[in-house]
Amino acid sequence: MKAKKKVVTSGRAGARPASPARTSRTPTVRRVKSAIVAARPVARAAGSPGDGSSGAVTGGGGSSSTIVPVATPELDRAAAAVDLTVDLAPDHGGLRLENPILVASGTFGYGIEYGEVVDVERLGAICCKGTTLRPRIGNPPPRVTETPGGMLNSIGLQNPGVDAVIERYAPLWREWRVPVIVNVAGESIADYVEVARRLDGVPGVAGIELNISCPNVGKGGLQFAIDAEAAGAVTKAVRRTTDLPLLVKLSPNVADVRPIARAVAAAGADALTAINTLSGIAVSRDRTRPLLGNVFGGLSGPAIKPVALRVVYEVAQVVDIPVVAIGGIVELGDVLDFLAVGAVAVQVGTAIFADPTLPVRLTGELAAECARRGLDSYRPLVGTALPGRPGAPSSKGVEYRP
Amino acid sequence: MRLVAAELVESRQILPGQWIQAFHAPDLAIGSRAGQFVHVRTGDYSGLVLRRPFSINTADVASGIVSIHFRTVGRGTEWLTHLRAGDRLDVLGPLGRPFEVDSRSRHLLLVAGGLGIAGVRMLVDEALRDGRQVVVLFGAATAREVYPSSLLPDEVEYVVATDDGSLGHRGFVTDLVPAYEAWADQAFACGPQPMLATLSRLAAGRRERLGVAKLGRKRGAGRQDPPGSPAARRKSFLQVALEQNMGCAVGACLGCVVMGAGGQPQRVCREGPVFASDEIAWEARW
Repeated sequence: MKAKKKVVTSGRAGARPASPARTSRTPTVRRVKSAIVAARPVARAAGSPGDGSSGAVTGGGGSSSTIVPVATPELDRAAAAVDLTVDLAPDHGGLRLENPILVASGTFGYGIEYGEVVDVERLGAICCKGTTLRPRIGNPPPRVTETPGGMLNSIGLQNPGVDAVIERYAPLWREWRVPVIVNVAGESIADYVEVARRLDGVPGVAGIELNISCPNVGKGGLQFAIDAEAAGAVTKAVRRTTDLPLLVKLSPNVADVRPIARAVAAAGADALTAINTLSGIAVSRDRTRPLLGNVFGGLSGPAIKPVALRVVYEVAQVVDIPVVAIGGIVELGDVLDFLAVGAVAVQVGTAIFADPTLPVRLTGELAAECARRGLDSYRPLVGTALPGRPGAPSSKGVEYRP
Repeated sequence: MRLVAAELVESRQILPGQWIQAFHAPDLAIGSRAGQFVHVRTGDYSGLVLRRPFSINTADVASGIVSIHFRTVGRGTEWLTHLRAGDRLDVLGPLGRPFEVDSRSRHLLLVAGGLGIAGVRMLVDEALRDGRQVVVLFGAATAREVYPSSLLPDEVEYVVATDDGSLGHRGFVTDLVPAYEAWADQAFACGPQPMLATLSRLAAGRRERLGVAKLGRKRGAGRQDPPGSPAARRKSFLQVALEQNMGCAVGACLGCVVMGAGGQPQRVCREGPVFASDEIAWEARW
């Protein structure tokens, strides 16, 4: 058994140009990328095809903990047949994604910046940079810094304004198969409503993600995210303005996220995104001042994954609408974790900076994982770690409240 | 812009804490120009989530060798120094926009502060290849940190300033610039922000002071090139390569901006890292 595995594995790394993690319906992988894949340490084979175990390699860190099933032609075919589609807005015309791996707002620009190294058409969806009614120049630099297992950013919603976004990018998005969801930020309900009104009916705009939780600007809308009533009010106002699929991005910087999630869902949101960044600061090298020009920044990356898991776990149990998880995803194991706690789709953010090809690769790996488990859809992976309803876990006293 | 697997060929410490590493990456070497940079992924995937940007120090198309020059400042650069020949790195590049040299410029003045030499080093090679004369003015804190002249081609005039006077001129490297102001057709600089701001002040009004003819007067008479365009940069006397904390390095995250003279933030990774000195608001207010 071991010998057989080895032969197959080396054949993958060397002779076959495409890794087994990619499905056969995604054949156009750049040569340069496979060169890098081949250069990395060969991933441990996780479980044999028939053993039925989860096969998740946990711990250890590093790229080798990625789950890479043993390749066989049958599994490749099965992976290609796996249904990865998901609809995030069944009630409002639908927001049908080819796969549940999205790229997060602020990490993928307007979808064009990474065009030379990523096939954007193979993403589930693109959430564009936070967009406001009027242009914003953003916060003073430095705006980003690395932190243990993550990074802080305080861009401050720099963007050219909704009209410029519509004029410059929507015509491009219209040509793409991949849906583009416009992330919308504002200072008042009127701002949000006006931006939504202008986006409504624009070809190329597939949906809206309400950013009511930007931690980096004085009036970035965070006041909406920390109060259930306000969050519900802004959602309701935007819902009345547009029939576009509407996602609402929740903030972790709150005492209890569940009432807010309930209010947003009740106000007509099609889906929830959880979570935005955690507020934090860093100190300059000479320790004479805070490092970031704006003092405060938003923490993202693997460091926040446990927090994101907790929020998704809590939210998924109190709402009936889809939950899109985001926070520290760097490998397939993270995706499976978030699915297990109730997310139906995930967004990849910070990890794109290190590995722009990750989101597309995760799609293939998810399909392969489903095939390996004998599933024809990834749906059975959703919510497996949730307690049976009803009975929220928090009522059993096993939660941590800072 | 490509994602390539670059194989380490040589790694050596040229100064205390400063390293030059050469990689075999033909795909990178072939498209690279002086002033551009690469974004390097460190291998410690568990704790380091960002790539590290480095100026392309040298790039040789014939051998396919690209080199970077860096100082060990944290875990990422520390990790790099432990690499051995044959190890492969995931490199994104070449990125950013290069120095623009006017085809009629005969005399190039290169000003480097400390590690800023890494930003202009490749321009030395390009300029000599094109038959131009090059003066490199280099500033450092002490003699211990002076870039070894053995790493520069013989044709270059190399002038050093140190803050403590332990080698060359005692004082700032910017003190040396006026002596070359009239000689130089164009100047290119990389180094600490205050140095670049000083150079920018020195460069302003040079034309009037010297009464020199405007470059591009015949061909470009009356034509206004849009600020930031290669043509506009080619006509400016001073171009600077900037440094900034960086996230994506492709223009997506807006993490690496500096304030432009027009009041709009400029991305160092995309509009830069090379800017004409008058494109930057050196005393920026946000």
